Amino acid sequence: MKLSNRRNTHGFTLAELALAIGIGSLVLGAILSSSIALLKALNAVDNYFGTQMQQIRIIDYLNRDVKRGLSVITSADLQSVTITIPNYIIQAGDPEAIANPSLVGTSRTPTISNTPSGPQVNYGSSTTTVVYSISGSSILRTENGAVTTIASSTDQLVPQTTDVELSNTEYTNTSISFLPIFTSGNLPAERTGTTLFSTAYLRNKRRG
Amino acid sequence: MKTGQSEHETGNVLICALCTILVVSIIGSAVLLNCTTRYNVVANQVQSWKAALTAAEAGGDIAYSEVRKTVFDPTHAFSGWSVLGAVHTGSVVSLVNNALSTSSTVDNFYNDPTTGNAWYRIRSKGTATVPGLRRTGMDDRMLTGARGDSLLRKIDFQYDHFVATYGLNGDNIGLALVPVSGPQITRRIELIAAPITPFEAAVKCSTAFYGPGSAGWTDSYNSKNGPYYFAANNPADPHYNDARSGSVEVGGPNFTLGGTIYGNVSTNGGNVTPSSNIQGVIDNNVPFTIPPYVMPTNLPLPQPLPVAVIGDVTVNPLVAGSPTTPNFYLLSSFTGHLKINQAGSAQTYVAIHVTSDIIGSIDIAPGVHAQIFFDGNISLKAGDITNESGLAGNLQFYGISPLDPSVTQSISIDPPGNFAATFYAPSADYHMNGNPDVTGAVVCKTFYGNGNTTWHYDRALATLGDAVDYRIASYVEDTR
Repeated sequence: MKLSNRRNTHGFTLAELALAIGIGSLVLGAILSSSIALLKALNAVDNYFGTQMQQIRIIDYLNRDVKRGLSVITSADLQSVTITIPNYIIQAGDPEAIANPSLVGTSRTPTISNTPSGPQVNYGSSTTTVVYSISGSSILRTENGAVTTIASSTDQLVPQTTDVELSNTEYTNTSISFLPIFTSGNLPAERTGTTLFSTAYLRNKRRG
Repeated sequence: MKTGQSEHETGNVLICALCTILVVSIIGSAVLLNCTTRYNVVANQVQSWKAALTAAEAGGDIAYSEVRKTVFDPTHAFSGWSVLGAVHTGSVVSLVNNALSTSSTVDNFYNDPTTGNAWYRIRSKGTATVPGLRRTGMDDRMLTGARGDSLLRKIDFQYDHFVATYGLNGDNIGLALVPVSGPQITRRIELIAAPITPFEAAVKCSTAFYGPGSAGWTDSYNSKNGPYYFAANNPADPHYNDARSGSVEVGGPNFTLGGTIYGNVSTNGGNVTPSSNIQGVIDNNVPFTIPPYVMPTNLPLPQPLPVAVIGDVTVNPLVAGSPTTPNFYLLSSFTGHLKINQAGSAQTYVAIHVTSDIIGSIDIAPGVHAQIFFDGNISLKAGDITNESGLAGNLQFYGISPLDPSVTQSISIDPPGNFAATFYAPSADYHMNGNPDVTGAVVCKTFYGNGNTTWHYDRALATLGDAVDYRIASYVEDTR
């Protein structure tokens, strides 16, 4: 028996080579375009959920302040919210802190005063003002002048808050939308589809 | 037979396979890393952050119910709570398989100087476990200079940050590094429970309102500004605002109006529409209940005499007393005429418990502050009620609710005459006939006035009387 160990010494023909290069290019192109598409999809989805988390964060910040708020005022364009909240914590410079610096950072004991509308609970002689506003692509929370950027996105986060005041209660309706980076034609539905809604009542203005 | 194999081909396949696995693994791990981070934030941290507030508010509700017991069931208020000084501390309550827990403290931080009613501060904290490992961080990815979740949601991964930074009670005392059993979020709230005084509206009835007649009206004034005069139609009058608080509150849908109300009207499911007869805000969606009224348990022992009012009886208190320690009398019958005088010239405080019906007459001198508690019914002429000061708050009637909730008390006021007094009788039907001129307020089950009554609510009543319930007057979250 003769064992065959013949090596193929023939080269490719030009046609075979061209065909192989063509098929290879197609396969490589497909792989490359798929990879790019996959990366873009991953980026879009990551961006989508990252922005959605910022929506949640804005809502949580706003609701926390509204719940403990004494009053809420929204601007005419619904994009700026001013909340007055009790001065629960003694800050440096407050009268109590000047009298006793060790009280800085501690909570106040409330006092009661009689007003024309009835007894009122006071935490100190002043209140804290918190303002939510938009600056470029950032959402700012300003507490007594100190600014904190609580969300920032290039996807045009648009919060809108409506303040509803009834005879003896008050609440705010907030909606936040953004435009995903994966769009097809900038249709309005692509923004409205991302809207997150929230309602928060002012606990200091309740019925009953 | 051909047995030739190409070793080069075998090697290429292996390398290609490994490279493919590597690329897929890198992509997979990147996806998983993103998913895990987002999952930890959205499904665990956000959820736990909200749950912690829910737990804190549940603790606040538990404490609030104990505060309300100080009115409705004083003997069982704060039963099982530990007391240290003026602070009541409740035990830790666990919920949802220990994933949530709450605890609260209550302290009486203020007493109203006029009524002696207590105000309570409720501090409650709720803790929620955060699923996941301690090394799980927070997602702070944002643009440069922005702060992410860590500023909002303060998660204790290793140690209780609050105790370490502010002390156990948040007063900068006892700072300590206290390890936590696992990642957790704690949120703290402070509520102020304020006493509800009986007379916050001209008429408050739990089921139905009828009246006054077409020529009658309900308005208000403030006795601190002087005697009543009609000012509700004159915006230029300095007491105009005080004149338009003759509000009517109905806990049901039944509301029938003939005259004019210079004040707000609220019903629970009613269909009251704006008209010139209602000179205030209308809200048909204000539910409330008026709990039964029980005899206060903090009154002193009764005076030996009198024990009944039959014929003419005069009471001359020996001491002035105070809102919290009045001169107390226990009467088994009230069919005659009762005159109550001052102790000298001092403002004199008197409390009377009538265990039967009141069908006699009463006259209190100026400077006497009388509270009349009655178990039965009242049937009087308006002129039988003489309050020489003219201040409704000086003569307060309280109807003790029958133990059987199906039993309704009756308060019937007939002509002739006028009076100044208040009635707090949540289990009573209040009937008023004729055209009396009344200064005061009434809380009842149903209100029926078939004549042209003119009813003047005294705004000074809003801060008078014993607490009949508590409401949460303030809500603050400690965001440290």
